[in-house]
Amino acid sequence: MWWYVAKRLLQTIPVFLGATLIIFFLLKLRPGDPILNLAGNKPVSPEVRDALAAQYHIDDPLWQQWIFFVKNAVTFNFGETFAGQPVIELIQQTFPVTVVLAVMALAIDGFLGISLGTIAGLRRNGWFDSSMLVTSLLLLSIPIFVLGFVMQLIFGVKLGWTSPTVGGDWNVGRLILPAIVLAIANFAYTLRLCRTSVAENLTADHVRTARAKGLPAGQVVVKHVLRNSLVPVVTYMGINLGALMAGAIITETIFNVPGIGNAAYTAIFKGETSTVVAIVTFMVMVYVLTSLVVDLLYALLDPRIRYA
Amino acid sequence: MPETRPGQERFVAPIDETPLRAIDAVDVDAVPESQWKEAWKRLRVSPLFWLSVVIIGFIAIMIAFPTLFTSADPTQGSLDNSFEPAREGHPFGFTQQGYDVWARTVYGARASVAVGLLSAILTAVLGMITGAIAGFYGGIVDTLISRISDIFFSIPLLLACIVVISVINNTWPNRGFWGSVLVVVVALALFAWPQITRQMRGAVLEIKNLEFVDAATAIGVTKMKNLWRHIVPNALAPVIVASTISLGVFIVAETSLSFLGLGLPPNVASWGNDLSAAQNQVRSGQHLQLMYVPAAALALTVLGFILLGEAVREALDPKARKK
Repeated sequence: MWWYVAKRLLQTIPVFLGATLIIFFLLKLRPGDPILNLAGNKPVSPEVRDALAAQYHIDDPLWQQWIFFVKNAVTFNFGETFAGQPVIELIQQTFPVTVVLAVMALAIDGFLGISLGTIAGLRRNGWFDSSMLVTSLLLLSIPIFVLGFVMQLIFGVKLGWTSPTVGGDWNVGRLILPAIVLAIANFAYTLRLCRTSVAENLTADHVRTARAKGLPAGQVVVKHVLRNSLVPVVTYMGINLGALMAGAIITETIFNVPGIGNAAYTAIFKGETSTVVAIVTFMVMVYVLTSLVVDLLYALLDPRIRYA
Repeated sequence: MPETRPGQERFVAPIDETPLRAIDAVDVDAVPESQWKEAWKRLRVSPLFWLSVVIIGFIAIMIAFPTLFTSADPTQGSLDNSFEPAREGHPFGFTQQGYDVWARTVYGARASVAVGLLSAILTAVLGMITGAIAGFYGGIVDTLISRISDIFFSIPLLLACIVVISVINNTWPNRGFWGSVLVVVVALALFAWPQITRQMRGAVLEIKNLEFVDAATAIGVTKMKNLWRHIVPNALAPVIVASTISLGVFIVAETSLSFLGLGLPPNVASWGNDLSAAQNQVRSGQHLQLMYVPAAALALTVLGFILLGEAVREALDPKARKK
């Protein structure tokens, strides 16, 4: 087990370094004088220029600049927004909201996707399976923001079940609607993965044995089919937690959720490229970290992985 | 062919019901049909396939001959028409800027499908080449390509595109129709290729140890020729399926980027831009057709490509369906 943990940790380092390298290079592709960019495109005196160059290591060779970039990312030193607020403060304010939203979405996605997917997989090619297939295909072909607007209109504005937007004083109740919209984006994949996985395991030898020894059908499904079928589904959902946070950009914008996605959208809208990059760098770090944790949990749950 | 019964490996014709002549009629010396011919035979009778062909054909006609569907000009906006309801020749009314909603939707197909198609092709080409090389040569080349693809895979697609396009927006602000399409396509393909690479690599790894490859090597086929003539064509099936489905996903991604203001520039007629422009009206519950019309066109197109991918998957791998 420890050998697996060490190996997986070591694999994360080059991936993380590579990801920062890509973002760093994209940043370097920006045109214009970086010092003028920092000073808001106003002419600066030579003293200020020197000070800024020293502070941001602009005259150093590229590889040294990259090392500083990585160092800043790891120490959460992301600079300031154009309004003068440190980006890390902005992240501290907004990130918890996004985490709550993503976890809620994950729970909805998991509950619906696994339960409906299991039923569809048990009755493969039946009417329920077919209607679920059609539903998932339709959900895949509609952009998430269209669904978001439609649900906001129906449940928030027309029916008035919940407030259409979340706003600054957020609470879990208000986040339910955005969480459902966010969950729908992944629901189709979870459902289909679960369905295929259950249907595959249903024909496995150990399930036949369980049936042959006379276990009731319900126990066979819960103890023998589901337990094995859920491994890929849970892994997929765990890896998707990061993607959910990325998808939150759109959902949070629609419902005015004060999360990190909304902060990113505002920064894009204002043209604050440096803030956008800082937030994306942070989210990539979170994403890499969650996949690492998921992989380790996966190995803990399934001994086949760590001995492979 | 009748289905096999549970627990039965292959179909066995019931001897007593099958006339001897039917058994004799099997031509043992016939040249076996290629994988593609067999797939086409199955595709031809698949209702899913024909449904997708009808949908995609309809969209293709809409792109090639937009004047068949509308006589209005999508670039002619007049504020006199702002939010005007439907009237003769303008079935869905007008947008805030006084554009004809239906004309915008018909002409918008071009940009959206162009982005989807080009991204899918570029992604497939990048993924196929890297995946084939990684799988075939193995060793250090494989490690290098796999690790690089891990890195690109570690950045969620939408986030990556946001950074790439916001940076390019600073560098190259006014880039016209094809310039804008190119930027979105490159951004999407740049971070989507690892998925195809992984599939291609896996398929090549499986195939390169099969007997017919050994046979080709034995009769003196060079390594390169062996790879491109014998291994790659046999490893293409999963890549084709994944690329067809990804085409729909890319069209949706373009609309998401346009919604964030990072897709195609607002003067280009595209579904993403129309949907993005409609959000304020829809939020207040008015002029809903501004969103429903382009959204329906978009959903239909994406559905067409997803269905095509599903049909091709079933045709190429009939086992997966039977199981």
